[in-house]
Amino acid sequence: MIYYYLTIYPMEALVASQLEPKKFASYMALGSRKGSAEQLAFMTVTPDCSNSFDWKHAIEHCKPHPDGKLKNSVYLSIYRVLEHIPLEALGTCYLVTKDGLSLPIEKMDYAKCGNSEPFSLYQEICPVSPLTISSLKPVEFAEYIINGSGKISLPAIIFADIGIIDFDDMENSGNVGGFYDHNTEHLKECISEIQERDGKKTKIVDRSYASRFSYQVIGKGIFAARENEIVYYPMPGREELKKIDYDWGRSALIF
Amino acid sequence: MFGFISIAVIAALGFAAFNYFAVKKMDNGNEQMIEIAGAIEDGSKAFIRYEYKIIAIVAFAIAILLSLVVSWHTAVTFILGAVMSASAGWIGMKIATLANVRVTNTAKETRSIGATLKVAFRGGSVMGLCVGGFALLGLGIIYFVFGKVLGQTSPEQLQIHTNWLGIADIPFTMTVSGYALGCSIIAMFNRVGGGIYTKAADMGADLVGKTEAGIPEDDPRNPATIADNVGDNVGDVAGLGADLLESFVGAIISSVVLAAYMFYTGNKIGSPLDSELVVKLIYFPVLFASIGLISSIIGVFTLIARKVSAHPHRELNIATWVSASLTLILTGIFTWYYFKGSDVAQAGFKAGVFSPWIAAIMGIVSGIIIGQLAEYYTSYDFKPTGKIAEASCEGTALTITQGLAAGMTSVFAPVVMLAVAIIAANAVAGLYGVAMAAVGMLSFVAATVSVDTYGPIADNAGGISEMAKLDPEVREITDKLDSVGNTTAAIGKGFAIGSAALAALSLFASFLYAQKGANIDEGFSLVLNMINTMTLAGALVGAALPYLFSGILIEAVAKAARSMVQEVRRQFKEMPGILTGEEKPDYKTCIEISTKGSIREMVLPALISVSMPLICGFIFGADFVGGLLIGTTLSSIMLALFTANSGGAWDNAKKYVEQGHYGGKGSDIHKAAVVGDTVGDPLKDTVGPSLDILIKIMAVVSLISVSIFGKYNLFSIFGW
Repeated sequence: MIYYYLTIYPMEALVASQLEPKKFASYMALGSRKGSAEQLAFMTVTPDCSNSFDWKHAIEHCKPHPDGKLKNSVYLSIYRVLEHIPLEALGTCYLVTKDGLSLPIEKMDYAKCGNSEPFSLYQEICPVSPLTISSLKPVEFAEYIINGSGKISLPAIIFADIGIIDFDDMENSGNVGGFYDHNTEHLKECISEIQERDGKKTKIVDRSYASRFSYQVIGKGIFAARENEIVYYPMPGREELKKIDYDWGRSALIF
Repeated sequence: MFGFISIAVIAALGFAAFNYFAVKKMDNGNEQMIEIAGAIEDGSKAFIRYEYKIIAIVAFAIAILLSLVVSWHTAVTFILGAVMSASAGWIGMKIATLANVRVTNTAKETRSIGATLKVAFRGGSVMGLCVGGFALLGLGIIYFVFGKVLGQTSPEQLQIHTNWLGIADIPFTMTVSGYALGCSIIAMFNRVGGGIYTKAADMGADLVGKTEAGIPEDDPRNPATIADNVGDNVGDVAGLGADLLESFVGAIISSVVLAAYMFYTGNKIGSPLDSELVVKLIYFPVLFASIGLISSIIGVFTLIARKVSAHPHRELNIATWVSASLTLILTGIFTWYYFKGSDVAQAGFKAGVFSPWIAAIMGIVSGIIIGQLAEYYTSYDFKPTGKIAEASCEGTALTITQGLAAGMTSVFAPVVMLAVAIIAANAVAGLYGVAMAAVGMLSFVAATVSVDTYGPIADNAGGISEMAKLDPEVREITDKLDSVGNTTAAIGKGFAIGSAALAALSLFASFLYAQKGANIDEGFSLVLNMINTMTLAGALVGAALPYLFSGILIEAVAKAARSMVQEVRRQFKEMPGILTGEEKPDYKTCIEISTKGSIREMVLPALISVSMPLICGFIFGADFVGGLLIGTTLSSIMLALFTANSGGAWDNAKKYVEQGHYGGKGSDIHKAAVVGDTVGDPLKDTVGPSLDILIKIMAVVSLISVSIFGKYNLFSIFGW
């Protein structure tokens, strides 16, 4: 059996593998021999969902090794992958910690996303990765990025809603990791600008924040959008996560 | 009198046995839990066996030397002390490795903090009661055999005797000192060896597992995690127990030695003490400690026998306070009854029959205050540790700087407290009062060790619940109990340092008496002449010695930790299936590395502590050793307080961040706090506790050998 995965973080790629998702997650994070420890996220993809990829190549090359071991990975494409995959072909999203544990999140109807705050912080994950502050709700933000009316436009996007902490009480920040370690003054200024400047709907806070992205700061969840379409991967809350997979929560430094 | 001591000993050891079997018969959980606990138990046993083999060789050699140079009874009591201390350590380690998994299972079965706390405390109480029970059992035997049967406590034998080498001493002082030395030897090996073991394993597990591979604490994929849990048992249970047993014995024997020399000196300088009063003074500390032991049994019982709340810290405090309060009341009544009708003014008692009791209370009160000060300086509920967490926002360098500041500042108040206790105790009952202050501080040692031992048991239980992947609710219970254990450990360390300081100072006074020996005459006054160049030079060397000793220990931990780090890296590299959970780590190799590393590395510091007074004594003479002792004692007290408190503060600053402050886990602030904690680890768990032993072992060795090197040393032989 061949599985297809769209890795969305830290690198955009379509990968075929004989490993089932949890094993693929572990392989990608830890490697088979190199001893790496890398945080990553990926989504399962329905095969033959697009003509843009050489699915045959996967079938030809994704075969067990002579010793019977399963083929770990066959890269089908890197760069501009997401834009060629229809949203309905995206399956479960896996958030993988650097020690190889993975948390599967099923997609959900966007309507269940709930009300938005006056402004949101979005970590764009794929295909580009700036940190953006916006007064738009996720669906509006996705539309704003995708519709092509502005200079900045993308055919598809995956982004995460980031939980915003009280910057005046950093001592009680909660376990948010290194996300807010630097330049919070600038972030505060950006928030003020969005709130106070009429017509200003989004502002890029930082172009390279993705390196500090961690699962600890995901707020409502992760969104994948194309033109007029959006799907929502809800991030479980602390109590729910405790019940679902406490060990993943510990590895993700949430507990 | 002996009946009373026997009752206390039988009650303590009987209650310990009852608790031991009560814990043992509890269900030890599922297969996985049993397997993990079995690995921890095997590792702990292997270490203790290995360590005790080395100690047996050293102890045998010392015993032969003592029998040849001092007396056969000193050699016998030395062996007795070593056996008593080793037994307490062994039983404590054994119960800790039995209780850990049963604590986890109780949390799993009951989901009740109170019920789980009781099991952990019951386990800890075995060690506490054994420390009190075995210490007094040995002393009881000595008092009976050597004191009563051989008549060493009779006024006729409380005189200077000279042996075949021409060495002069009061026989009973050497008999009890031999016992103290036996306890000290075990304490030194257990504390130093255990301290190196526990930190090497801990640092190895953290530096590679947590930092490099990103796996959480106590994750079964970490090859060093079992060794880390073994370290808790050999360092924090066996090591701590042997340490406090030694302090307890040291405090008692220093009062006894002082009483004997007071009697002898009084006769020589023409103001003789009533012989009946002297015998009372010699027996009083043991009886006082027996009452403390009985009070501790009641204190421990109050926690075990009733339904306890979900507030572990409060419950543990109640057990300690009941023990302390009962000790206070019962010893007060006993002191009045015991000394009524005696002319205690002869002994320099200024507050009547209650004088030694008041002095002991000074010890109890100062011990409690020092413990509370330790909590103040190391708990994140208070400013000093909070400031370290806050400083971490500005980077690692400031974490270290702020921690150093907190550690250094923390030295002053406890030392002032000790000074106040010494002055007050001396004011009411002279130097005997100072020794009684140490006895008072340690009189309810069974209760304090029970509370202290509860900590590592709860820590192990948390490790087992993580490794066995039990429900989050279970892990939260064991985590909560573990975090309370960290606080009790900090308080316990303050207590250990304070009591060690008082015991060492009392032993030092005994040393000064013993130094004079038969030369005491009418003009005698107990003076350490700091203008004497030999004394001054000795004090300088002595003050520097704890730094040398600490440096060697830190290097030993670093060396053993490096081996562990390399091994964990090797396993991750050569066995990639470990991280994916397809392969089991090789826990045994990590345990072996820690065991061999710590045994190898503990020899040099242990030898320094025993041999330094002897080498200095045989070269420079008794005056130099007097200076050496005072220099080492003062310097060690400061350094021990500094290392224990700075390490504790760094540890808790990290914990505070991990609770979701300043970004919490994974933040740069957390990384800075982790560095602080790692730097502080060998300071608080290896150096600090080992310094407690250093000052006591040097004092006891000097006390035993002063009459030898006072007579035979290079400087006097060559007439320099």
